[in-house]
Amino acid sequence: MTPETHDAVLVFSKTWGAIYLFVVFVLALIWTYWPSRKSIYDKAEQSPLGDEEIRQ
Amino acid sequence: MIRQFELVLSLLVTLIVMVLGIAILGFGRGTGYILHGWVIAGFSAWGAMYLVNHLSDPAPVIPLEYKDNVIKWGVLACFVWGVIGFTVGDIIAWQLAVPALNGDMWWSNFGRIRPVHTTAVIFGFGGNALIATSFYVVQRTSRARLASETAPWLVFAGYNLFVFLAVTGYPMGITQSKEYAEPEWYADLILLFTWVTYLWLYMATLARRAEPHIYVANWYYLGFIVVIAMLHVVNNLAVPVSIAYPKSYPLFAGVQDAMTQWWYGHNAVGFLLTAGFLGMMYYFLPKAAGRPIYSYRMSILGFWGITFLYLWAGSHHLHYTALPDWVQYLGMTMSIILLVPSWGSVFNGLLTLNGAWDKVRTDPAIRFMMVAVLFYGVATFEGSFLAIRPVNTLSHYTDWTVGHVHAGALGWVAFITFGAMYKMVPWIWKREGTYSLRLEAWHFWLALSGTLIYVGAMWNSGITQSLMWQTYEPSGAFTYAFIDTVDAMRPYYTARAIGGFLYLLGALIGAYNIYMTVNGPRVEAKDTDARPLAQPAE
Repeated sequence: MTPETHDAVLVFSKTWGAIYLFVVFVLALIWTYWPSRKSIYDKAEQSPLGDEEIRQ
Repeated sequence: MIRQFELVLSLLVTLIVMVLGIAILGFGRGTGYILHGWVIAGFSAWGAMYLVNHLSDPAPVIPLEYKDNVIKWGVLACFVWGVIGFTVGDIIAWQLAVPALNGDMWWSNFGRIRPVHTTAVIFGFGGNALIATSFYVVQRTSRARLASETAPWLVFAGYNLFVFLAVTGYPMGITQSKEYAEPEWYADLILLFTWVTYLWLYMATLARRAEPHIYVANWYYLGFIVVIAMLHVVNNLAVPVSIAYPKSYPLFAGVQDAMTQWWYGHNAVGFLLTAGFLGMMYYFLPKAAGRPIYSYRMSILGFWGITFLYLWAGSHHLHYTALPDWVQYLGMTMSIILLVPSWGSVFNGLLTLNGAWDKVRTDPAIRFMMVAVLFYGVATFEGSFLAIRPVNTLSHYTDWTVGHVHAGALGWVAFITFGAMYKMVPWIWKREGTYSLRLEAWHFWLALSGTLIYVGAMWNSGITQSLMWQTYEPSGAFTYAFIDTVDAMRPYYTARAIGGFLYLLGALIGAYNIYMTVNGPRVEAKDTDARPLAQPAE
């Protein structure tokens, strides 16, 4: 690997890597806290607490 | 039809492993390696015979109940490996305090015995605990039976065969010298088959679920399974020199090999010892406390945070090495950010106990889980701190690292496991509760004092070592010879061995308590005599 390639890869990972992780974080945040999804989580958190009868 | 296909496929895999075993015992040189060939061949031949005998059986009627028998074996394996691992750990701790105890035999040096300890506790104790509880949790939260009758046994047997080969190989010198990935290529192949089966079984069971949403504990367990599959394959890419020898050469060399190894090593911590056990926490803590997770959404966000950040943190094991600086800074930065989702999980766990704090006082299993979460908080804070490069100049290569990993392993991993086991064992064996709450409490206090003594001793010895190594005369020469720093460790190493002994004692009491629980009376089925009489209508 030439020093130029190394530098190019480095700049790419430093910029786009950070943007990629930040975008993934924002998407996860929006997806998790989207208001219409609240009922799914409210139901899911009760899942281990009720009866755990096998159904299939 | 599907059952036949599954049996034939299982038979095929078992036969491949058997051929591997026969090749090793036939072509192999060296006693240990040949013995391993016999173990592999014998074990898989027995499995193959069993499968052949049942191939033409009519399809059995699968009862509409959870498949718990394999989980019971998992609990047994977990405690057996745990006791072996803790015992070996404490033996080498005493040997470090009193070197004469080592006996100086070719098979007993520290380099050969230490991986027996680490493999027995991480993969034997921790791995079996994860496999057993994951089978329990995936069935209950999916309201569905495990998707296969044979695959769970293949997973359990193959996994324990792998751990057995690993642990018995080290004293005989069979190792590829990669920390936490010591087993050679043939054991790695067996684990590969096992792990692919595990992944398939877990996903197939989730696919059968009667619930629309996949409960969050399964996310963590699945994250653990997927990432371990990936890590195991990449870090063990190696070419065996010949079928006659266990030796192999890794695909990567130099700093690339070191980076691959620590990408593996740190994520084994991140996904086996963290994500898997967080899955355990997110099921057993709410279930035991009778309270829902404080914030379900936080647990999901924490999942994505841990999954995406952990994978970049491994390079903090290679600070100030030939690894390019920017990769070191990347690992350091990711390690610091990682504190956010880690402490998110800590607060989520602790706040789940709101409204049930009285149970921490009365129920030792919940106390185990609560303290586990506290130690998780301590260990993740310490981990982020140690990953900072200047801090690492002080801590690296000292016992501080040993103290850090034991705060996580003894305090978090084993505490959450003991808490979950004290709950799960009575549930799967259908007992009223554990045999003795008093013994559970003894186990708790012995384990807690052992951990605190251990970790305290290692903090002190680590910082002492580091400061002595870095003390210079005005002329620039070292003030202390290396052997002076070794000599200064005596009191700390003795304290560490005592702490380890207390921990082992607690685990033995725990194993006895579990044994007596299993041996004890079942929950009485309420027959008609035990019910109140029907009142005549007035």
